[in-house]
Amino acid sequence: MPTLPLSSIVTELREIVGPQNVLAAHSDLLVYECDGFTIEKNSPDVVVFPRDTTDVARIVKLCNRAGVPFLPRGAGTSLAGGCLPVGGGVMIVLTRMKRILEINLRDRYAVVEPGVVNVWLTNALKGTGFHYAPDPSSQGACTIGGNVATNSGGPHTLKYGVTVNHVLGVEAVLADGRVLQIGGPAEDPVGLDLVGAIVGSEGTLAIVTKVWVRLTRNPQGYRTMLGVFESIDDATNAISEIIGAGIVPAALELMDQGILVAVEAAFQFGFPLDAQAILLIEVDGLEAGLDQQRDQIIELCKKCHAREVRQANGEKERLKLWKSRKQAFGAIGRLSPSYCTQDGVVPRTKLPHILRKITEISARYGIRIVNVFHAGDGNIHPILLFDERDAQQVQQVLKASNEILDECLACGGSVTGEHGIGVEKIHFMHKMFTDGDLAAMKNLRIAFNPRNNLSPDKLLPTAGGCGMEQKRPGRRAAL
Amino acid sequence: MSPSQTLPIKNTLAPADQAELASDVREAFEASSPLYPIGGGTSLDFGLPAKAQGTGLSLAKLNRVVDYPARDMTVTVEAGLAMQSLAELLATERQRLPIDVPLAGQATIGGVIATNWNGPRRYGQGAIRDHVIGISAVDGRGMPYKGGGRVVKNVAGYDFCKLLTGSLGTLGVITQVTLKLKPIPEQSVLMAACAADAAAAEKLLAALGRSETTPAAIELLAGPEWESHPSLAALDRAPPGRSYIVVSLEGTAPEVEYMIRQIEAEWRALGVAAPLVVGESAALWHGLIEFSAVGNSPLVLKANVVPSGVTAMAEAARALDPRCSIQAHAGNGTVFIKLATFPAQGLSRALVGKLQPVAAAHRGNLVVLANPSGAEMTHQSVWGGIDAPFDLMSAVKREFDPRDILNRGRFVYV
Repeated sequence: MPTLPLSSIVTELREIVGPQNVLAAHSDLLVYECDGFTIEKNSPDVVVFPRDTTDVARIVKLCNRAGVPFLPRGAGTSLAGGCLPVGGGVMIVLTRMKRILEINLRDRYAVVEPGVVNVWLTNALKGTGFHYAPDPSSQGACTIGGNVATNSGGPHTLKYGVTVNHVLGVEAVLADGRVLQIGGPAEDPVGLDLVGAIVGSEGTLAIVTKVWVRLTRNPQGYRTMLGVFESIDDATNAISEIIGAGIVPAALELMDQGILVAVEAAFQFGFPLDAQAILLIEVDGLEAGLDQQRDQIIELCKKCHAREVRQANGEKERLKLWKSRKQAFGAIGRLSPSYCTQDGVVPRTKLPHILRKITEISARYGIRIVNVFHAGDGNIHPILLFDERDAQQVQQVLKASNEILDECLACGGSVTGEHGIGVEKIHFMHKMFTDGDLAAMKNLRIAFNPRNNLSPDKLLPTAGGCGMEQKRPGRRAAL
Repeated sequence: MSPSQTLPIKNTLAPADQAELASDVREAFEASSPLYPIGGGTSLDFGLPAKAQGTGLSLAKLNRVVDYPARDMTVTVEAGLAMQSLAELLATERQRLPIDVPLAGQATIGGVIATNWNGPRRYGQGAIRDHVIGISAVDGRGMPYKGGGRVVKNVAGYDFCKLLTGSLGTLGVITQVTLKLKPIPEQSVLMAACAADAAAAEKLLAALGRSETTPAAIELLAGPEWESHPSLAALDRAPPGRSYIVVSLEGTAPEVEYMIRQIEAEWRALGVAAPLVVGESAALWHGLIEFSAVGNSPLVLKANVVPSGVTAMAEAARALDPRCSIQAHAGNGTVFIKLATFPAQGLSRALVGKLQPVAAAHRGNLVVLANPSGAEMTHQSVWGGIDAPFDLMSAVKREFDPRDILNRGRFVYV
């Protein structure tokens, strides 16, 4: 229970960060009532924009003294309600801590504040021969702090790994306001890998105020191909063949006909509209090896009955192809008034099975489903199209979504590959994990966040609670 | 040395499966009696010497392959499986776990994960932490728990794969893991050059960081053990104080052929007179992988610094003991130091006074890997790490092992 009235909290926050960095008017708070997961909404009581680590620590100490919950937020592009202020409280928005503090090419790291937008770092590194590898499709908007919280992926994580593989260290404010540096520019800090625990903890263990990220050497060259298939089965078999042949593409993405039509209308890339599926395949690395890999991939696609395999001609076409893929979700508005994206994972060899199952579920519920996803990782993103004004459709979408995710689990997979548990998928945690697993996770949270006042009611089901009961699916952008 | 010589144990339990292991841990928990998990027994010298009398807990019988869906490029195995057996299994599908480990016939996958062991190929292939995608363990109460799963991409729940990697068995006895695999490359060769002094070595290392090639490993070698290595004899014309740079090049035949030519050109441009193509040298690879485990060094140290600090770390070690031998995974900043003689001024003065400050100046730390004498093995000399968040780590430990039965007194907790 709060021990200070809201008005006092607001006054003190204004003293800490200055009045221009506090929002408390109801109309100002509306923007912050949800992230990309829009089913459940709740306004924070106050939003504060710290300018530096000291501000964050002071804010957190104030929240502890005032007995109110608090949580961090980046750009709010997350998709599972990770920054939904359950129970209100103080929302600490880190977007004004947005400096790139250091770039060190000899030691291959950069130090950034959490509010740095992912693509800013890539832009800052242009011409250096290095880049920051994780490239979520929302990279033009999402922040690196948010990427750390959700352990973001992206198309090129197939070869290069997800965020946790590229974070060397963090400076973090703990739930009690202590500031710690955990890890740093050198690998293998002494003791437990707390950096590994914090990355992907969805803001429930600490508030990250500085990040040491690893920089990756740019590849010498790329070969980007478009495999055109008459059936989804053929396309998914081709994925299995490519991976099975020992080729590790930089990216391997699938788009089915439903999404192709929308993407083509939006970007006019020249996608074949009558194809049932296309694979966007990119290999990168030494020029000396690329033609051989390309030829091998073309051959494997043809073996799986590809109608044709096109190649991107030059960097301009390659970038346009990637733009079409990364902004595919923006094109969905052309298909339907509302949509709901899922984020399941299956072993790669189970892709043909899960896509057949999705087709069957789509038919059974009378809900149209289109697919655009990170096929090489087995990370599916079925997009369920509907009209949220139709209550019956809404219920069908929820049931269909749950059935798809249950099938991912039955295949030995996961209910989230990169979007997170947040509040959206809490009700699946009992299906994926035993009571013992969840108790161990709770133990970790207690060690970091003993009063459970930092991002409460996220990621783990609470005793007696069932997480959020879903009434409406969200319409949202997705990775 | 056998576990009973290294650890204060009278007997060792060898449970047949996870359930039996959990029940053994539960009994120990009830009796508040320390347990010392044992894999292949190759790293029992690592960490503070155990003092509390307890029981060994061998993973020897948990050595089954649970599932190997080769086309998914993952494998699920029990923790007691030896690295060599795992490598042989994966090679049947032309796959590998690219983690190079000494004494691979003995060392187990669970032990490699618990000690966060990484070899030369970490530079090009990533660390063990990047390859563990699922993990099962038994906590200090005897409660089994797991994290991750069997798919290569998964963000459900807290990442116990990372938390347990390098935890020295103190948060749970690792019983089973799922690993992400890589294809075995068509070809693999080594190239070597000699650097006259530290400045010349740093120049070559910095250039390798920006090379047009993609080395799998970048190694810096120095000291008597390497000066007498037959594979490097052809380079052996430089003055004392020299070091060797060795790179591993892996890929398809055209890629490797390109990289050899390119490295030769890059090195010649930097003044290397005669770059050496060692080829698929089994002897040199063997040396690179086994270095930290062979010989009778009275003290083996491991520094973790930023890559630009590697040569300074090596120089500091040679100033302390001119006869020491050094191997650095220079692209990653890991420096192994094998001393020829135990420091005359004592362990604490040598490490806390001399080497740890050099590691700290290069943003890292220095830990003791093995000190068979056991002398002066204090928290400060073994774990250094002045600014490490040991309080928070201890808070985590208390939640996972409230009676402190798992590897009591050996890790970083305060």
